[in-house]
Amino acid sequence: MAQQEKTGLKRGVTLYSYQEEFYTRAMTLEDCLAEVASMGADGVELLPEQMVPDYPNPSQSWVDQWFNWLDKYHLKPVCLDTFVDNTWGGHRVMSLDESVETLVMQMKMCNRLGFKMMRPTTGHDAAPEMMLKAIPYAEKYEVKIAFELHTPVTLGSKFIDNYLGLIEKTGTRHFGFTLDLGLFCTRVPRIVSDYHLRHGASEEVVRYAIEAFANRADAQTVDAEVKKMSTKEIDHMMAMFAYRYGPATNDPRDLPYIIPHIFNIHGKFYEMTEEMREYSVPYETILPILMEHGCAAYINSEYEGQRWTQNVYDTDSCEILRRHHLMLKQLLGEN
Amino acid sequence: MALFEKYMLMTRGFQNVVEDGKTVGFQIKIRITYYRGISLAVINGLEVTVDGKKYLPEQLRFSTGGHTFTLEEMGREEKVRWPFGEPATLTVLEPEGLKPGLHEVKLEEVIKPPYMPGRGFVAQFTRKMTLVA
Repeated sequence: MAQQEKTGLKRGVTLYSYQEEFYTRAMTLEDCLAEVASMGADGVELLPEQMVPDYPNPSQSWVDQWFNWLDKYHLKPVCLDTFVDNTWGGHRVMSLDESVETLVMQMKMCNRLGFKMMRPTTGHDAAPEMMLKAIPYAEKYEVKIAFELHTPVTLGSKFIDNYLGLIEKTGTRHFGFTLDLGLFCTRVPRIVSDYHLRHGASEEVVRYAIEAFANRADAQTVDAEVKKMSTKEIDHMMAMFAYRYGPATNDPRDLPYIIPHIFNIHGKFYEMTEEMREYSVPYETILPILMEHGCAAYINSEYEGQRWTQNVYDTDSCEILRRHHLMLKQLLGEN
Repeated sequence: MALFEKYMLMTRGFQNVVEDGKTVGFQIKIRITYYRGISLAVINGLEVTVDGKKYLPEQLRFSTGGHTFTLEEMGREEKVRWPFGEPATLTVLEPEGLKPGLHEVKLEEVIKPPYMPGRGFVAQFTRKMTLVA
């Protein structure tokens, strides 16, 4: 089957979305790849610490098999998601050199598995120095670092400006962003508030937290208010978790200044309705803005609802991903 | 949140441990409550309570990939990894082990990657399991 050269936004899946089925052995890695292809998507994002055996050194026969699968299912390796555990669980802090060595090891893994892009996740404070030092290696190994902009980062913040400054200062073409669309939650995912209610959160507190979030109150205000309203731990957790989404002050219309630097997109979602819409993330607003400004990245669907629903109903990642991809197809104007 | 909490305690491997003809403790097979495998040092807590008795850290041993560690040794172990979805063996040093029959086993696992605030990912699960042998 000949592959059409696609321009503009393209559809993929981060296999992170199938984490539960992979964990329970309901699905193999090949099954995940087959699911992606069956939706007419062709991009794959992978967490090697999740699905690659003998990390960080899979056997050559496994690597050969990986390329056979990509060929068989007509898929492109888009981004490798890696982690630098620089705080070693609170036991010891890595030196800057150790951190960069870890990133270099991961870039070599990218080369080995056919990925030209990497998304490294590490501690917030250590990241700027680490990324600066890693850039010459990214250029050497020809791996673009797609640093993730993930909730609760805000558009227009100094956090992002620092990284834009890094790009300008180094002049590199090997540093950019993975934009996580969970940044644009306009409301708290329903599955999050439902979880807290099931675990004894008071209706009054949940209602307040949901309204405050949608009304763009800041996290500290909500936290303080909830502590006045209730002494229950589960209520405090509701207040905290509400702000691991969005915040609602993030406006897709403020995206243009970073669009030239978006290498990759995590199509984050938590709940897809039967009307093929994400309950909290306004894809119908975000995608047109990205398209209008010529963004040509892969949108890799990232399902992350399982953790809030696992203990009340069976997860069906495959079905919910199909809803996400039908929505993407429609919004991207694919026929 | 529930990151694989309901899967973390396994029945296979729930058994007493016999050394030189003496029962020195019991074992449980457990899985990680996180979405990736990690070096052991990233684990920041493991606590076992059986039938209401909470065991001390010194009474626990953790085994994966053919290596066995005390909890303290795990904190320094940056090379050996606990792979995603793979059973590890938790040994509890309890003289005479557990009687065959139903036991209430409660496990707490704490995983602390650098980007998570507070204690990290804290998972707790209680499962009633039958010890056959």
